[in-house]
Amino acid sequence: MRRIIAQMRKELTQIVRDWRTLALALALPMFLLVLMSSALSLTVNELPIVVQDFDGSSASNDFIDAFRASITLKVVPWPVDKSAEEALASNAGRAVLIIPSHFGRDMARGVNAPVQFLVDASDANTAKLVTAYAGQITTSYNQQGSGTQAGPIQTAIRLWFNPGLASKKFFGPGIFVLGLSMFPPLLAALAMAKEGELKTILQVYVSSIPAHEFLLGKIIAFMIVALAECLIMSLLLFTYFGLSFAGDPTPALIATVLYAFCVSAFGTMVGAVIPNQASALQAVAFGGFILVFLLSGMMFPIQNIPAGLRWISSLVWGRYYIEIVRDALLQGGGWPAVWYKVLIIGAIGALFYGIAWQGMRRMQVKA
Amino acid sequence: MRNLWNHLLNYRLRALIKKEFAQTRHDRKLMFSLSVLPVVQLTLVGFALSAAVTNVRLAIVDDCRSPESRELIATLTESKSFRLAGYYSSVDQLGDAVSQGKADAGMVIPYDYARDLLRDRQTTIQFLLNATNANTATISRGYAESMIQRFNVGLRGQGIHVSTQPVAGSNLASRGQVQLEPAFLYNPGLVDSWFIVTGVLGLLLILQSSLICSAAMVREREAGTLEQLLMSPASTSEIIIAKITPLFLLLCLMMFISLGVLKFAFGVPFHGNVLLLLAGGALCILSGISIGTVVSTFSKSAQQAQLTTFFVNPPLSSLSGALNPVEAMPKWLQPLTVLNPIHHFATIARGSTLKGGGFMELWPNFLSLLMITLVLGSLSVWRFRKQLS
Repeated sequence: MRRIIAQMRKELTQIVRDWRTLALALALPMFLLVLMSSALSLTVNELPIVVQDFDGSSASNDFIDAFRASITLKVVPWPVDKSAEEALASNAGRAVLIIPSHFGRDMARGVNAPVQFLVDASDANTAKLVTAYAGQITTSYNQQGSGTQAGPIQTAIRLWFNPGLASKKFFGPGIFVLGLSMFPPLLAALAMAKEGELKTILQVYVSSIPAHEFLLGKIIAFMIVALAECLIMSLLLFTYFGLSFAGDPTPALIATVLYAFCVSAFGTMVGAVIPNQASALQAVAFGGFILVFLLSGMMFPIQNIPAGLRWISSLVWGRYYIEIVRDALLQGGGWPAVWYKVLIIGAIGALFYGIAWQGMRRMQVKA
Repeated sequence: MRNLWNHLLNYRLRALIKKEFAQTRHDRKLMFSLSVLPVVQLTLVGFALSAAVTNVRLAIVDDCRSPESRELIATLTESKSFRLAGYYSSVDQLGDAVSQGKADAGMVIPYDYARDLLRDRQTTIQFLLNATNANTATISRGYAESMIQRFNVGLRGQGIHVSTQPVAGSNLASRGQVQLEPAFLYNPGLVDSWFIVTGVLGLLLILQSSLICSAAMVREREAGTLEQLLMSPASTSEIIIAKITPLFLLLCLMMFISLGVLKFAFGVPFHGNVLLLLAGGALCILSGISIGTVVSTFSKSAQQAQLTTFFVNPPLSSLSGALNPVEAMPKWLQPLTVLNPIHHFATIARGSTLKGGGFMELWPNFLSLLMITLVLGSLSVWRFRKQLS
């Protein structure tokens, strides 16, 4: 125990001395959190829509006004003599609403009036969103305008957990986890690989400290860095993002400590297995960034990954922590929803620790 | 002009280029990261990143338990959009299921649903959606609304309810209905991956070229051979051009490989002029290289250069519109995309493949890419000369 604490203190001293890297590791996640949460969202505001009105009647103006009133769409003027596709090709609008010349007449006669809606589908997701919005506007326009009875079945739709549909609240926790999975392991891997590069690891071998205690000391030091980072970022989550614990906070707190252990163990493992700073950096960038960014459901739902690749995501440690954090901050499912995810994080951390231990032994042979 | 050309291709430059080629050829790791990595990343990203909303798990509380309510449930769950996640006996249980993540949505059918329908009265069903993911929630709300809308139309058509057909006079008074007829241009099958891979191609070009270039430039300084190069009769721009040429050719090769992946693995249609796309790609690589040279003149070691690119790349890639629409960014950040080469290349790539656009539509993007390259390139030449002092 004494040896572990001594090792930890040595490691912390080293971290604090390299204050520039430490400052970067603490400030960069905050910067990422603010920037990416606002930049990564998929829900759009003021999407430009081009309207071509070949009718020019009061009825068509009425209908266009319904589109103008929407927050998500923005009507952009477009000359009638230019073709609609030109507007899409030059990115002037995301969609074109074309009102035919007999629109007003048809409406007055009580006949159904078709209106064409051309959507730029090169971005399939946005195309679906625009169509959904336009459909909603048309439906409500049809309902409020005339004496025609709305359909017999009405739907009362309630949005739970995030009624304002704020993307920030969804991405905030995800990027919080991304920052936590990137920077502490980066520092840990660099520190461990440096021991191998500078051959200071030999001094450790001749000292009385056993490999598992040496590793534990290192890991605890980087856990402290990770928890400090976590504290700073959660302050941001609670203030700037306006999030708060939705239910029982204990699973998230325990998972945070376990996750700090897991990522520090990951970094130490990479450093022990690859005793070369540049290659270790790339390995952490792959594990911490690419895997967590792509395969954890941070941005896009996991169900959409084809089954051949989906199994990989169940090995990605960040995935479980993202689900726990989202549950704690948004859904409030508590222990019954997440207990096994907390266990999995602990198990993956222990696995990394074991591999790092094995790596230490091999390092000894090589050195 | 001819004089300049001769000057550019003088023996000094040729010798330098030869030296760089020899150095790059022996770098196995570089070859690996330029051939295998982009293919893996493109396929992984293209298949994994999809915002499509299908198979939303729908939990149901059916208090009515009648043929009419079962018909509604069947209509919803038989579609590709929703999938039955189970029946619950009370709204509380349904709420628990949604908050524990066993279901994404819930539908509550009231006990008087069938009775109201038969009496031709309005009835209201409740629909709960887990809105943690705003995008998924918006799209699935659209699905639910349009499906119930269609179900309503079907109900009106059936003759089971009491007919309240108005006489011709009142029919004239009522206004007609607007029928929105959406048509999806450029991508009628709504394939998600086309948008993602065209964006990620730009991302890859910029990230790889900046990373590789900064590493190559810094290596000379770390080995201490930079002074020797600067002492030689070659001018600064000659040294830089010689350094860049082999990297540029290699990166172009990477672009060809990636375009092959786009074409054959994802089936992205190439409607426009391929030469235009290639020109855009070459410009994009050049601007990435100039980012790399600028970064390298600011850093003393390979590690510093790598950490700096760590700092530069996330904002560059997340503020590019490569993975998500520019309109989704906050208003004050949107103008910044003009300075982002990834944004311009993504626009060029999408314009010339999916949309089949020509130079007429895309010239502003070409111009901005050229400007970015020129500004950063001259900055790096200027910094390169200064760094010795």
